[in-house]
Amino acid sequence: MATEGVEKTSEDVPAAGKVSTRFDLEKETELRFEVEAGEAAEQVELELLTGMAEVFGSELNRNKKYTFGAGSKIAVFTWQGCSVNLYGKPEVAYVSKDTPMLLYLNTHAALEQMRKQAERDNERGPRVMVVGPTDVGKSTVCRLLLSYAVRVGRRPTLVELDVGQSGVSVPGTVSALCIERPADVEEGFSVQAPLVYHFGSTTPGTNIKLYNKLTSCLAEVFSQRCEVNRKASVGGCIINTCGWVKGSGYQALVHCASAFQVDVVLVLDHERLYNELKRDLPHFVRVVLLPKSGGVVERSKECRRDARDEKIREYFYGFRGVSFYPFSFEVRFSDVRIYKIGAPSIPDSCLPLGMSQDDTQLKLVPVTPGRDLTYHVLSVSSAEDGEEGARKGIVESPVCGFIVVTYVDTQTQVMKVLSPAPRPLPRHTLLIMDIRFMDMK
Amino acid sequence: MADQNKTDTEGTFFSEILSPSELFAARSRSHKIPVRGQKDFFPNDSDEQRQRLEQSLNEHWSLISEERVERLGNLVRATWIPSDQTVELQSPAGKFWQTMGFSADGKQYLLPEEALYLMECGNLQVFYKDLPLSIQDGYERFLSSNTVRLQQYQVFGHLKRLGYVVHRFDPSSEPSPYVRQLNLPQSRDRAGRQLKRKRSASPTPTCSHSEAQEESTTERMEEDKGNHDGEENKKPPESHLTTSPETAQVQTATTSTTDEGGGRTWWTTDVLRDLGKGSDHSPTSGSSRWDFSSISFPDLGSRGQLSSRLASPDPSLLPGALAVGVCDVASWRQRINLREVRLSSKEQRREEDKRRRRWDVNKDKEVQRCRNWAEYQELLARRQGRRKGRPAHLWNREVTPLHDPRQLIPTGELLDKISVIKSTNLLEGASRLKGSDEWKICFNVYQPDSVADFKKSNPGKPYSRMCVCSFNDPVPDLRAIKLLASQSGDVPVVIAVVDHGDISFYTFKDFQLPKDVYP
Repeated sequence: MATEGVEKTSEDVPAAGKVSTRFDLEKETELRFEVEAGEAAEQVELELLTGMAEVFGSELNRNKKYTFGAGSKIAVFTWQGCSVNLYGKPEVAYVSKDTPMLLYLNTHAALEQMRKQAERDNERGPRVMVVGPTDVGKSTVCRLLLSYAVRVGRRPTLVELDVGQSGVSVPGTVSALCIERPADVEEGFSVQAPLVYHFGSTTPGTNIKLYNKLTSCLAEVFSQRCEVNRKASVGGCIINTCGWVKGSGYQALVHCASAFQVDVVLVLDHERLYNELKRDLPHFVRVVLLPKSGGVVERSKECRRDARDEKIREYFYGFRGVSFYPFSFEVRFSDVRIYKIGAPSIPDSCLPLGMSQDDTQLKLVPVTPGRDLTYHVLSVSSAEDGEEGARKGIVESPVCGFIVVTYVDTQTQVMKVLSPAPRPLPRHTLLIMDIRFMDMK
Repeated sequence: MADQNKTDTEGTFFSEILSPSELFAARSRSHKIPVRGQKDFFPNDSDEQRQRLEQSLNEHWSLISEERVERLGNLVRATWIPSDQTVELQSPAGKFWQTMGFSADGKQYLLPEEALYLMECGNLQVFYKDLPLSIQDGYERFLSSNTVRLQQYQVFGHLKRLGYVVHRFDPSSEPSPYVRQLNLPQSRDRAGRQLKRKRSASPTPTCSHSEAQEESTTERMEEDKGNHDGEENKKPPESHLTTSPETAQVQTATTSTTDEGGGRTWWTTDVLRDLGKGSDHSPTSGSSRWDFSSISFPDLGSRGQLSSRLASPDPSLLPGALAVGVCDVASWRQRINLREVRLSSKEQRREEDKRRRRWDVNKDKEVQRCRNWAEYQELLARRQGRRKGRPAHLWNREVTPLHDPRQLIPTGELLDKISVIKSTNLLEGASRLKGSDEWKICFNVYQPDSVADFKKSNPGKPYSRMCVCSFNDPVPDLRAIKLLASQSGDVPVVIAVVDHGDISFYTFKDFQLPKDVYP
């Protein structure tokens, strides 16, 4: 599309010392830009000047500046054509005509068709599982489809099974979130009352049994919600999965499909996975192969770690570390019970006869508080602080919050914790994660 | 010397001295005990049977009426003291003193059954009011419900004749289960026992208890009563025990309810709010079947079926009423196939293996018939059951097999589960039972080979304990057996059943079912 307002140039930029670059986009093209990663990186601001555009399904307001921090990788897509201004110096910025957005939109249209049918026939809406290897844009596709669904008035549910890069809660958890409005362009979906389960590690491989168990837990709770909430039922759910598609990871995907009784599986850019799922899932499950976007960037290990750290910081300090003010207080060891889920695996030859290794994976192992607890993220389980008898339910109980141990004093048997809420802790059963967080900023 | 049925009124008939010829006759007399032979079960009125019976009776009568001849020097003199129900020795005891009798106040005493046995053996002559007692007198005077009954004496005599050392059973000498559990050294002094009993914190006044013990020192048979006091002492802690599980149950019940409440706090508000709305429509688990021929996904994988161009979707389905054109799929198809999976050679081999073993689930006719997940999952469950050897017809009736073969449990547990007959432990729960008068242990029995170094003061652990009952008595019930076992501890209890002159021995034993892997 032809662009208007060509006269707008960098001179109009307020004296922030930032370079302004203007991009005129034709219809069905997207502007991709990346902000430099690292501490010293300059933030980049985005402003829509004319036309209409969206970022991952969320529409941009005209003449509003959106700020993107270090490490952001953004694609501004337009269906009709638009012109935007970038302030600051992005690492890369280019316009691409080659986007699979139309395919994604068609996918959404098909899902919407299903929701309409569900609404008409008083049935449940589509349950979609998005699978694919790492770095193909699974989370982005989920966000896109959810945003589109919300924009046409649905109330879908995001089920986040990616324990490494959770979009809802801190890493090391699986969660479900009811989506009621499109994602914020900068912050993503607003997280209100998510259902979070403790997993404790960033890869499902550390305890695949627990992972499958939590998947089943989420599926059950979601089904219960669907039974009493018509809107949620019609809206269906979109399940984001991990990028582990081989061996046990693949089995976990099949298990998830079965637990959630998914109707549609979206396979992103992995034909072999597509063929395997076609073979292993019953015929009434629609398996769809979709391409990944050319804009997807492979993230390094460090990048993933930083993203995890950022997610935890966001939990305590709010988006960009400005909106929340966490509390720091001391907790006596005697007041809390700390557990780890899953005993370390023992060689089979060391096990008592007749005992199988599986028994250990869901076991609660009490952790003696010590100096090595420092910087670990702990989940506060919502299990009632009952006696030993209540221990059974802890694994399947959701999490009410997280705390980080900042200092351990073994002499006085006290640890200092960072907590989003003032003392006292709502519950006293804590589950330890492998994930550590240092409050450096 | 004869002490049987002499009607002489002479004061010295008991010191009658036989002439040598009479002595010879007595010695050369046959010592054979008549054979009892086969038992006839019912009278058949035949002369033959009658004759045999008469002969047998005559033999017995003659045996009993026979004059007993003993050497005067072998006889120990003793006096019967009815008030104490004991026999006091007047002359030094013989060899029997090693295993029988007891001393008190510097005097030697025999218990009545011991005295009677020794009389029968010809080792003892008992006087009462300066007159010797015949064996018949001994039976009449010594045996009573206060001392030992006839049947008990029969068992006593039988065992003694076989060579066993037999003592009266003193219930207070047996350590309680508690002491046994603590593995305390077995002490014979009473102070320790009293200490132990105090611990039960019973409201029963201790004076009645000590009374019972005083009695027991004077009259041992009263000991049983004292023991019952002891049993009653144990009652209060027992009642405490029975109440505590209840409270524990209540506790667990409350926690479980709170568990249920707490488990789903996350969405409960939402759920409650929507309950009214949701109640009027049917649950959504039903068959939702999508017609994917009309719902078109841009599936790059399905070749041929999909036209290379996607029709533009209905604008009503799109956010913001977008209107988009057709979509060219073909170009995407080219690109997607480029990706090659990087697998290590080992993984590749494994994948190949898997591919060969596995087949497309959808080639299965039954799977094709499934219309939704519910049906499919049911099919899978059914299949799995069949494959793992779980025939459905065994499981859909009221009586089902003891174990579901799909559940993997340790062998020990499995054996435990399928054993309908359980191993028994007589001592289990016995300590909580209240004592009864019906069944009592009468004797401690020590083996004959221990006689040589047997000490009355420290007899050691008995070989077994004897409980006497009549052939006409009912068979002891489980409760009685448990009680006896708990009284006896780790010493086996043998029940001697007296059928007139015949004594048979029975015992109830714990049994352990074999558990091959686990001991």
